[in-house]
Amino acid sequence: MERLIKKVKEKVDSAELFRLKSKTVPVNFEVGKLKSVDISDYEGQALRVINKGKIGFSSVVGGNESDSIIEKAIATSEFGIKAGFDFPTTTKPKVENELKIYDSKIKDKSVTGMIKIGEAMIEQIKDFDKNLRCDITILKHNNEIEYLNSKGAAFSYKKTFLSYSMMIQKVEEKDILMIYSSLDSGEDKLKSQDLTDELLEKLKWGENIENIKSGRMPVIFTPNAAMVLILPIVSGLNGNTVLKKISPLANKKEQKIWGDFFFLYSDGTIDFTLGSAPFDDEGIRMRRLPLIEKGCIKNFYYDLQTAGIAGENSTGNGMRHSIQSAPAPGISNLVLGEGNASFSDMVKDVKEGIIVDQVLGLGQGNVISGAFSNNVQLGFKIKNGKITGRIKNVMIAGNAIEELKNMAALGNKARWIDGKYKFPHIYLKSLSVSTKQN
Amino acid sequence: MKKILENALKNTGKADYVEIRLEKKESTSIHFQGKKLEKIDCSQQMGGSVRALVKGGWSFVTFNQYDKLKEKVGQAINIATLIGREKSRLAEVPPVVEVVKRELNKDFRQVSLKEKKELIENYNNIILNYSPKIQSTNVIYGDSFSTVYFANSEGSFIRHEKPNLIVSLTAIARDGDNVQMANESLGTVKGFKKAEDISLRAEKAAFRAVNLLKAKPVEGGEYTVVLDQTLGGVFIHEAFGHLSEADFLYEDDRMKNLMKLGTKFGFKKLNVIDDGSISNLLGSSKYDDEGVKTKKNYLIRNGILTGRLHSRETAKKMNEMPTGNARALNYRFKPIVRMTNTYIENGKTSFENLISGVKKGIYAKKFYGGNTTFEMFTFSAGEGFMIRDGKIAEPVKDVVLSGNLFTVLLNIESIGDDLKMIEAAGGCGKGGQAPLPVSFGSPHLRIKKVVVGGK
Repeated sequence: MERLIKKVKEKVDSAELFRLKSKTVPVNFEVGKLKSVDISDYEGQALRVINKGKIGFSSVVGGNESDSIIEKAIATSEFGIKAGFDFPTTTKPKVENELKIYDSKIKDKSVTGMIKIGEAMIEQIKDFDKNLRCDITILKHNNEIEYLNSKGAAFSYKKTFLSYSMMIQKVEEKDILMIYSSLDSGEDKLKSQDLTDELLEKLKWGENIENIKSGRMPVIFTPNAAMVLILPIVSGLNGNTVLKKISPLANKKEQKIWGDFFFLYSDGTIDFTLGSAPFDDEGIRMRRLPLIEKGCIKNFYYDLQTAGIAGENSTGNGMRHSIQSAPAPGISNLVLGEGNASFSDMVKDVKEGIIVDQVLGLGQGNVISGAFSNNVQLGFKIKNGKITGRIKNVMIAGNAIEELKNMAALGNKARWIDGKYKFPHIYLKSLSVSTKQN
Repeated sequence: MKKILENALKNTGKADYVEIRLEKKESTSIHFQGKKLEKIDCSQQMGGSVRALVKGGWSFVTFNQYDKLKEKVGQAINIATLIGREKSRLAEVPPVVEVVKRELNKDFRQVSLKEKKELIENYNNIILNYSPKIQSTNVIYGDSFSTVYFANSEGSFIRHEKPNLIVSLTAIARDGDNVQMANESLGTVKGFKKAEDISLRAEKAAFRAVNLLKAKPVEGGEYTVVLDQTLGGVFIHEAFGHLSEADFLYEDDRMKNLMKLGTKFGFKKLNVIDDGSISNLLGSSKYDDEGVKTKKNYLIRNGILTGRLHSRETAKKMNEMPTGNARALNYRFKPIVRMTNTYIENGKTSFENLISGVKKGIYAKKFYGGNTTFEMFTFSAGEGFMIRDGKIAEPVKDVVLSGNLFTVLLNIESIGDDLKMIEAAGGCGKGGQAPLPVSFGSPHLRIKKVVVGGK
């Protein structure tokens, strides 16, 4: 890395090299049987240069280290955008409470051990009902990041990740019920029992198929489905959409839009989560950034370049979507503050309404405007404070910015989704629900 | 290269089957957002994978260094041995030794970065200058050229070339808090020439985004819907196509029962085809990523389920013929059952006759995206109009169509006579492999009782 930076430094104003090395090992079970094991090694590097004040970028995956990456980065800088920043000169020394994101027990986990975990889960599902289809993936992942720039900043870290995911499918006549969930952590402490319990509970809720009528009604989003409402908000708080004025939230900083109990954070400082790291992907220390507090917009999130142009500071949210992409504003971990209502209290409060657990078409449609419209892939009916069965052929629609003003309560027990989103249940007083008339 | 691969595949011992894929890829991407050039970069990738089958258990090893191929083959065989517990079963196909080249009308690898940038900048300016209501744009250009070497333990050696070029033109219009988007896009394997004259599409995207500002949100409920060729194509891909992929049912008796060939599945005049052997469409390829020759496959004929898409494993296990549909996004992924070019055959009804009988319905055009979980599907239209008394009436927005596969194909009432194949940017996603280039198409379709989400 030093060699390359030294070489490129002679030709440009400044430069940074980002290197990723990762290994992913998934053990896959299909229809209750061990199906395949993969070992995926991946390594690549990305060079970003500032040349005559303009940005150039190039990446290489695999192959031998060669200088062609330098030439390509310089070639792109000729048409590149004007740099609104320079690379950081230091990456501050480690703070006292060092962030924990690496667990050697995950790295050393054996394939045979992972097979046993999956087999035990399948056993449990079969014991419950041998006719259920069950697909499982037990996956371990570790990666190493190295960063070096010509201004003197350098850092590196290692991260581990373990994930158990499971899909249960029940087929009767022409009715297919699919329930999916996963557990993810950077630490080797997942309890597969939590996952099987969750899926079997939802399976029981869904035994009957219930009808509902179209109209506005109370809707409870489980942590699995909370993203439906949060994604449009997060898109609107992205420094890039704010800068370009395509965000409807662009002029609303420090304005109170939602209820007092709405808190939202981008937080890259939480141990053993997927989104945490000591630094973002361009050498800025990650932090806990308040996006929304007491219903009021506190901050938009920025990378170096977007912040530079907007006249703001980077918030430590410069993320690379892949080794082929230059940093852009992104969320570390997304944390929605808990409320004080239990899930069972929410259910009891509903005379007639639905629970939404899985949707189709997340992020489809005009997200930035706040609009969402989704097929409810897994949802349940509530009647007189009780869950009575599963609903089918139902769509929900609305504008997240507006609907969240209607929050009746937030759950008191948040759950991590995909290892990087911590969401409680969200209870909306009223939302538009459409259904097929039978 | 042939020698190297042959050598690595020697003495595969207890493995029933081993294949190696090596890939070299160069790509360029350019992205304008609003007036600004957001991104311009060139990247190179080189990597490979080994897939091994031992007693029914599969392993898959990927890497970025070619020097230890033999070792990787050994590693793959060892892991597969850990999990193999039955007999390996793969449909037999003849070994192939062939170099498959692609002809490009203007090879984008010879086009300068400057020329590419100027072309895209021009489209971006067309959108930006269309109206003061245009707030921003997302104009993306991407090209990539892959050379893939495939070899297996049965003696196949195929060198494929896989060119791909996309242009995606998104216009974002704004009026106060009302923000609307419209997209036009192009995907092609035919080279740079096709990207050179699409100014009209840039104008169309801008026109539609501005027009959507005036549209009212559609009222949720059940409607008779007329789909244009794009949405019809998305619809057959999403709502039915994925169900014809044998990998989700070949080991699932209940599913197999649901999808038994010969079952009445749709409207009696409905014919659905997947064909990877059509020349030069986005999903086309002479051989799939298991080295199986592609062909024309009827999935539905006269409303009856008549075929499905296979890999070598699913074909053998279901006792059917291989179809050449095992495709991998790149060397990092294993081949899984995928569509290629999927379409509904022409019917006989003109567009005028298709809408003339509709008292209150929706004419849905273009698409934002689609999604499916076998039984349920959902997709969003990029443009919508009410149909009132047989005539196209006022524009509506936020049209998201949703339904149940088993009823919706039976609810098709009429099939148009104007089939068009659509080649768009983006592509199909499955099992984490996206975007895989595919094309789809359809004539205009009229479907009754479709649920539309809305306020």
